[in-house]
Parts: sequence; C-alpha cells; structure tokens
Amino acid sequence: MALEDYRADAMRCTRCAYCKWIPFDLIKSARFSKGCPSMETGKFHSYSAGGRLVTALSLMDGRSTVTEKVKESVFLCNLCGLCDVSCKICRYDMEPLDAMREMRATFVSEGHGLPQFAPVIESLRTEFNMVEQSAEKRGDWARELGIKDLAKDHAEFVFHAGCRYSFDGDLSHIARTSVKILQQAGVDFGIFGRNEKCCAGRAYDMGYRDDFKTAADSNLSAWKKAGVKTVITPCSECFHAFSRKYTAKAGSGIKVIHMVQFVDELIKQGKLKLTKNVDLKVTYHDPCHLGRQGEPYVPWNGKEKKIFGQAVCYDPPRPKYNGAWGVYDPPRDVLKAIPGVELIEMERIREAAWCCGAGGGAREAYPEFSRSTASERLEEAQSTGADAIVTACPWCERNFLDGSSTGGSKLKVFDIIELVGKAIGGEEQ
Amino acid sequence: MSTQIPSDAYRAIEDIVGLDNISNDPAFLDSYAFEVMAETVRPNFDHFMPRPWAIVLPGSTEEVAAVTRVCNKYKIKVKPISTGWYHWAAPLTENEPTVQFDLRRMDKILEIDEKNMFAIVEPYVICAQLQAEVMKRGLNLNIIGAGCSTSIVASTCAYFGAGPSSYYMGHNSENLLGQEWVTPAGEVIRTGSLSSGCGWFCSEGPGPSPRGVTRGALGSRGGLGTYTKCAIKLSPWQGPPVMEAKGRPPGYRLPVHENFRVYSIGAPDWNAWANCYYEIYDNNIGYIFHRQFNLAGADLAPALWLNYIDPTKTINDVETSVKDLEIQKVTEEARISFQFIMQGNSVEDIQLQDKILDAILKETGCYKVKRFCEPDMAEFTNMYLQRLGHKHCNYIWVGGYMGSWMQPGTPDFTKNYVPVAIDGFNRDQKSHQLVECGGDAMMGCGSTIGGGGYCGLEQFVSYDPLEKDSVAACVKHMEDATADALANGVPPGKEYLYLQVGWQQDRVFDAWAKIPQQFVFNFQRKIKQAFDPNELGDRNYPWLPEGWGQKAQATAAAPDSKSCNSELEAASK
Repeated sequence: MALEDYRADAMRCTRCAYCKWIPFDLIKSARFSKGCPSMETGKFHSYSAGGRLVTALSLMDGRSTVTEKVKESVFLCNLCGLCDVSCKICRYDMEPLDAMREMRATFVSEGHGLPQFAPVIESLRTEFNMVEQSAEKRGDWARELGIKDLAKDHAEFVFHAGCRYSFDGDLSHIARTSVKILQQAGVDFGIFGRNEKCCAGRAYDMGYRDDFKTAADSNLSAWKKAGVKTVITPCSECFHAFSRKYTAKAGSGIKVIHMVQFVDELIKQGKLKLTKNVDLKVTYHDPCHLGRQGEPYVPWNGKEKKIFGQAVCYDPPRPKYNGAWGVYDPPRDVLKAIPGVELIEMERIREAAWCCGAGGGAREAYPEFSRSTASERLEEAQSTGADAIVTACPWCERNFLDGSSTGGSKLKVFDIIELVGKAIGGEEQ
Repeated sequence: MSTQIPSDAYRAIEDIVGLDNISNDPAFLDSYAFEVMAETVRPNFDHFMPRPWAIVLPGSTEEVAAVTRVCNKYKIKVKPISTGWYHWAAPLTENEPTVQFDLRRMDKILEIDEKNMFAIVEPYVICAQLQAEVMKRGLNLNIIGAGCSTSIVASTCAYFGAGPSSYYMGHNSENLLGQEWVTPAGEVIRTGSLSSGCGWFCSEGPGPSPRGVTRGALGSRGGLGTYTKCAIKLSPWQGPPVMEAKGRPPGYRLPVHENFRVYSIGAPDWNAWANCYYEIYDNNIGYIFHRQFNLAGADLAPALWLNYIDPTKTINDVETSVKDLEIQKVTEEARISFQFIMQGNSVEDIQLQDKILDAILKETGCYKVKRFCEPDMAEFTNMYLQRLGHKHCNYIWVGGYMGSWMQPGTPDFTKNYVPVAIDGFNRDQKSHQLVECGGDAMMGCGSTIGGGGYCGLEQFVSYDPLEKDSVAACVKHMEDATADALANGVPPGKEYLYLQVGWQQDRVFDAWAKIPQQFVFNFQRKIKQAFDPNELGDRNYPWLPEGWGQKAQATAAAPDSKSCNSELEAASK
C-alpha cells in the first residue's frame, strides 16, 4: 500500500468528528466521553484521524509541506485505534487507522521521521529490542527456571516474553509466573532466551517498515527452525504484531495466543485451579492491541466495486475490523474466576477503551503526552472506587506505573497474570 | 495577494490565547478548509473551501472578545465553529483575511438546574455529553437531526434546531433561554433574564431580548459573531438514568424501558401517512417522531438496516439481501413508513398511549411494520433515535450525501411535493452516478416544532465525492430539484441554500433581492450595521446592501435555476 491508496478515504471523509469521541451510544458521562488522546493534547483538528486524512490529501496535492507541526500532528498519537472504531459506526469504506500508519511510513521513507525514534530503532537493529538494552541480558528473567532453549531445541509452543517483560525489572516476574503456569499445565514449550528478538510491532507503528520486515523474517525463521506451531505471549503488543502484522505480511501459519486467553482456557477446562483468595476490588483496562485491535486477521486481496450505481463495497468482501471481535471476555472471565476479586467496570471499556498512552511510539517520542494519557485513564479507574487497575500488557502496566508515580494516583497496578499467580499460590517475585 | 494575516495581528492574538492556541500552518488551515459538500460548490469540484488565514482556539468569552477586537482593528473576518461541519462552516470567500475560531477549548457544562429544567453550556459541549448528564436527573434535551455529535450552543443559538424529538421538546430556537454573545464588534451581550442578574430562565427578559435579531429559523451560522454560552430548556425523561447500550458495533441496541414503546409505522399511501401525522398531533401522544431509516432509500432501507444490526455483515450483504423475498416483503411494507417512540409518565400512561396509537392506525389504515418492531430492530431503533449517535449513516453508502427539498409545512403540504421529489430523484438516478436507492429517500422530523403541525422531508442524495462525474450528477440534481420545486409552486429547498455557498456575493444579493420578503434582509442590514460595523461576519447572516433591494424589487421573480447552472459551470471552468 502507499499513501495514495488512501486518497479515497480522505476524500470521502465527512469531517463528522466521530473519531474524536467514543461511540456515542456508549457515552455515560460528559467526563469520560472523549476518545482521542491526541486531540485532547493537540487540540487542532489536524490531530484527529479525520484531520490527518486531510493533511495527507493536502500534502499529496502539494497544497502544503511537512513542517515540524505537521510531523507532530502525525506522530503525537498512540495509534490506539479508538478513532477507527468510532469512524466505522457509520462507515464500511474507511480505514483511518491504516491510513495513519501509512502516513507515518511515508514520512519515514521521505526523511521526515522523528529524531526521538533514532536510538530506539538503532537498539532494534543492533540489540534486537526497543528498550535500548543489551541483547545479552534478554534471557536473564528466565535464568534457573529450566526452560527449554529453542535456539538449540524443538517445541510446539514458544513462550515469547517480549522486550518489556524481558528487560523491565518491575515486570519480569510476570513472565516467570507465566512460564510457571505453562509448566503446571504440562505444555511442551520453550523460549529463545537471550536469542529472542523484538516483534517490532512498535517499529512498524513508528513507520519503519523495513526494520519490521527484518525482525518478522528473523522471528518466523527461528520459529520454523525450532518446529514452533504456536506462539504464546503475555504482551499485547507482541500478540498484535504476531497475529495481525506477521500474518498479513508473511502468511506465517503460526497460531498466536495471548497468555490471558491460554489461562482462561485452562480455567474453563479445569486444568488450572484458582484457590487462594485475592481480596481486591479491581477495574480492567483493555489494552488496545488485545482489545479493539486484537481481532483475528482475515486475509484479503481485493478491490473496491460499486453496487446500486455508486455504493461502495468490495470484491471479494473486505474483512471488517471495527473492534467488534476483540479479546474482551477472556481477561474478564479470568478476573471473575479469581476468588475474592471484584470487577468494577470503567465507563470506557472494550472497543471504547481509553488508551494507556504507551503505544505508537508516543512513549518514546512524547513522554509528557504519554503520561498525561495514562493519568486520564488512572483517573477514570479511580472513579470506579476500585483498589487496583489490572491490565494484560506490560506497556500499559509500565505507563500506569509511571503515570501513578508522577500523577499521585493511589491505585495499585497489576498484570492479570500476577493476580492469577497469587490465586494459585505461585506468584513469582 | 498575501494570504497571511499581518504579523502584528498574529502576535496580538497569540498574546491573548497563547502560543499553542493559534496556528497558520498551511496543513492545519487545510484541515479546517476541508468541508463536506465543498466539492459541490467549488471550482473543479475541489474538496477545500477557502482557507482561513489562522485558526484560533480561544479558552474563554474574554479571549473571544479580545481576539474579535484585534480582528476589528486589522479588518480580519471572524468565523466561529464549534464541532464544525458543513461547507458553510468554512470561510466563504477566497483570499479574504479570516480568523476561524475553533471553540473546542470551551467545553464545560456550567450548570444543570434540575428544578427549573435547564442547563448552561459552553460551545463545545455536544448533545451526547449533556444528555448523559441530564438523564441522571430525569431530564432530556432536543437533539437536532444532525445528531448528538453537534454543539448545543450551535443548534440553540446559531443554527437550524429541529430533530426527531422536536415534536415533544421543541425546536431549539424555542429552547433557547439565554445566551452570551460576543458581537462581531467584540462587545459581550447577555440576553434576557441573565442580563438583569436574574439567572438564565427566560430569553425574553427582564432585559434585552435580541433573540429575534440573532436567532431566526436557521440562525446566523457563524455570520454574526460568536456565542460563548447558552441556556437550553430541558424536557422530562422517564427512562433509566444511564443508557446501557448492548451488543457489538456498529448496531448497538438499547433495551426498551417499560415506560416506552418503539415502533416503525407503515402507511398504505401518502394520504394515510398525512392523516396519521395529524391524528398523532391531535392526540398528543409520542416522544420521538421521525422518518429516519428511509435515508437509505425506500428500495434499499430494510436490506441495509437488517444487515447493519448484524455485526458480521457489510454492504456486500445488502446486495444479496435485496434479492431475498422476505426482505422484499419488508421493503414493500416499509415503503412509506416512519419511526415513532412513545414515552409514558407511568406504565399506565404508556398503555393508554398504546391504545390511542392502535386506534389511530385503525382509523387511518396505517400499521406497524412487523419486522422493524421485533426486539432486535426495536432496540436498535430505540438506541438510534434516543441518542442519535448514528446520524452519519447519512454517508453510509459512499461518503457523499446532500439533502434536497425539506420545505417545511403541514403534512398535507409535504405530501404534495413528495411525488415530485420522488419522480425527480428517479430521473436523476438514471445517470448511474448517484446511489440508486429508489426515488423516495425522503427523511425528516415528524414535526419541527413543539406539539406538531409542521414537518418537512429531505431527499437523501448519495454521491461519491471521489468521482467528479458523481459530484456533477449531484450538482445537477440540486439544480433540477430547485427547478422541479419552482415548477410545482414550491419554494426551493435545502439544495438551493447549499448551492448559494458557492456563489459570488453579488449574485447572492441579487437572489435575495428577488425574494418577496426581501425587507427582512434590509432590516438585517440595520442590525449588521449596529453589531458588525466593520463587516467581520459573512453572509451566513443574510442582509442586503442599501439600495440593492429597491432596485431588484421592481423585477421581483423567483430564483432562476438556469442562470444558476451557467454560473456554476463558469465557476467550475
């Protein structure tokens, strides 16, 4: 695809501004009605999905040029996809999220990338992670756990911890708890340890398509060599990259499961008993990459066709990604299965969830924006009366922890696997 | 010619609103110049209206007034928008120094007076936000036909204010209880009781009441200064305090509360349709009253909506569904139909309304459209019309929609132009450049005023904004609709207003001068001279220069659609 391929989206945009709000039917209060973190910070229409489509049109037609403000309007965004859901309440022929990704790729290829991304991309190229750490330390979290090393061995399942769980000392215990659950369930799995490489989903969103492809090829090749059929990951960003972007690029044939889905299945099959009480009122934050962007990938190679004279549809029918079929229930079912846990919902949930602020390169490029986005979510979580906010992505958790420490929130922050660990009495430290 | 506002003016405005709240970046300006329907009036079907020269985001009434005063000093036009939609929301004239106010920073609900049933809001509070808050207090507001994404201040102070609930809750010009207005001269005026320090309960006083000056039926649409606050009258709500939508997108559903009934009513012919409307008015039943689903066109509407409520379906499925015999049966049943929601003050009350409705249907020969009254469609109808959060399904076919006709009057008046509108649209669809949905894509409020009696139907013309031939077909339809109306003794409809956006100012003045009541425009010139001495507002607030009216009065005639065509062609060349 190229930016020009989204000209129709731009010219058919009606400036309705739905992209700035959660789906209107779901609004329960004025306070938590807005949906676009970028608009709340940038304020001008250019910071919305619709505004970016107009910017794309304006640039393609030579009406304007790329200025620093234009770059900011394109990159000051989490690519959380809320706009995409709201847009598609009334439209079947728009793909604003894809268009915004394409815009970033175009900017990068034309030399308009952000300098803030340079060290992160360099880290991906040389250390195979996007958190600027030494590749040597990647497998440290799993030391002495006795897990099969798939760089030397074979297994049907690979546990992919991801950059954040591998290197973030506050969170790596969640990876350890995860593998303990897999071990208890008798799964034949392994890890790549220090040879694990970043999914590069974040690089894709930053606009670095070549780097993404390199990483994807490398991971797919390693999995194939090790006989892997299924990837299990506790990271929602990795989950999304593997299940949507890898499949789209490579047709990998690899099955991708988020750890929460796996735990949910184990509980429902009676293979995992949650026996310990965890007295906690919690609210659940849907990670964008697991929730609204976590819909299953459907291959499609088609074109637009007109019916009834001018109505737009596609030949063959184009898959619809509008957040209807994201991974929403498994995490909630897991929480409900934990003795003592009371789940209280926020107003903006499921496809309408407010973003944690970490995605799309925003955390790396615009830390203040990223933190304010997290703070907004923490305020919403706090308004429910919950003691803790629980999520299923280390990037969300990291951002909430950072937002909590700077914003003064008293909420505890948990990964759902951490609570499962407590409930089975096998919590890792 | 420079298209930059003078740097002194820019800096002066920047000093008022702050560095982050003003921009003249060309791409940013373009995001405001890009407006829906621009391609129907701009040369070469361009999607961009004229660019504003700067975008300003004021944060308070004081900032609006201060910036307006700077604009007076430098003779820069001022064009405010709140949520910003429609081609006339952008500047209307090329190369004219214009500051566009984007009022999004003024987004607070200032007060909800539950006892006196009104709310005070700033311009970027949208209907959905206020509705969510007032429902918790047993209240509701009239949401205009453009939907819940719209600004309350805009529809109440400055724009057409009718919607599906106007029948029960009134047109928003009726619901305006007070306003704070920054005139184009930069003066802050508060109207009615507010100006006497008595609160916002009455727009007419004690105190000045310029409501008639600023409001009218259509409002000044950003052409006469900036409205920075308003009070809107609220109405009773007997449903749950929070709307709990269920289901997956896009077709969310709202369970029907025991105090409500949700129906789609069909009519065997337009006479029965009109009689049914009159009976509903006379019997004072109903809460939301709208011909909604027909926006998709009578040939396609049931196929579209029954697929829309299924999250696994797409427009491709509509193509299959229209061939389905069951759907075809529903299509015929719903061909002349409207949606009707009743609210009772109690279960007994709603049961009584139900009986009255049944009697009306029996008497008029109308009926409930069975498939549309089944729980899935009824709950979807309930969600759609109570929140009006799907209004941009207006664009569902292809992203372009233009509404023609919509002349308001009694149901008998409306039913008389319906066949003309249907024939005309059928004719224009033969170009294959418009969505072929049947000639009847007429949609509109059961009544645009409180209590009923006055309605209009708008022809939903869907075209592809990407394709010049399709846009041209839409423009041709607009011209044809105007000509069809005039040929049948009906004033021109909405399409004529839309087309005027692309005209040169002199031509617009010529057209207004031919209108029989052109004295209104002369009167409004006096108002403009008083409140806008430097002509900072544009012609969205209509007026006639001195002498223009008298000259044209002698040759008063209706608009000449042929000359519209030739001028448009010349402009597009």
